[in-house]
Amino acid sequence: MSSAVPLVGVLLVVVCCAIEGFAQVFYKKGARGRRRFVVYGTSLFALEAVLYTVALRYLDLSTAYPLGSLSFVSVTLLSQWLLRERVTPTRWVGILLILAGAALVVMHA
Amino acid sequence: MSRPLPMRVLLGLAVALLLDTLVQLSWKWTASGLLDGGAHDIIMAVLHRPYPLVVIALMILQMINWLKLLAHVDLSFAQPITALSYISVCLLSVLLFAEDLGRYQIIGIGCIIVGVWFVSRTEHRSDDPVAAMPRELEP
Repeated sequence: MSSAVPLVGVLLVVVCCAIEGFAQVFYKKGARGRRRFVVYGTSLFALEAVLYTVALRYLDLSTAYPLGSLSFVSVTLLSQWLLRERVTPTRWVGILLILAGAALVVMHA
Repeated sequence: MSRPLPMRVLLGLAVALLLDTLVQLSWKWTASGLLDGGAHDIIMAVLHRPYPLVVIALMILQMINWLKLLAHVDLSFAQPITALSYISVCLLSVLLFAEDLGRYQIIGIGCIIVGVWFVSRTEHRSDDPVAAMPRELEP
């Protein structure tokens, strides 16, 4: 297997994380009763599902799944920006630890 | 410092963790079998094998539970908590798919768990009224 193959898988998961950030924000809005945002969010999740399925062709699940924790960063940033949620420094420390953990897991790939 | 979570939020998070684990494992199982052939083989496999339908059913349950949960808690609080499913997914991947779990992965998973603990210690809005959302975000 070429060394570029896991890189393709990693890049696909990173794109999935960016998509998930917006999908989760749409779901949060949908949870408040705005059904059309549920449709928007589900559409993005469907796109993410296709890309993630392809990514699993190149990566072990025990690598791909923790790498998906990058979505915690995108979701937190977008929650702060679009939903005006209060994100404290302690929460950011937690997010960064999660991110560091994901990076360590990817080293295995 | 955080205040105690309502029971329905705790229950919703527990169900989310369980469904996350089931979805990931069944997804890997499905993807492993589907992606060996071309587009025609994939379509035929989806039509004749139940695994993709199981994944879809689990994802629908996951979506319903998540929407109910998000109605009562901050997104930036609840979502990082679901990282706890990394433990169950990685351990079950080793058991079910014979995947390797190296030293770095174990340390990484430990970091993730500590990170989740930090997030769980932060202030959050749970069961906050819809009216508390900023008006400018109304569609």
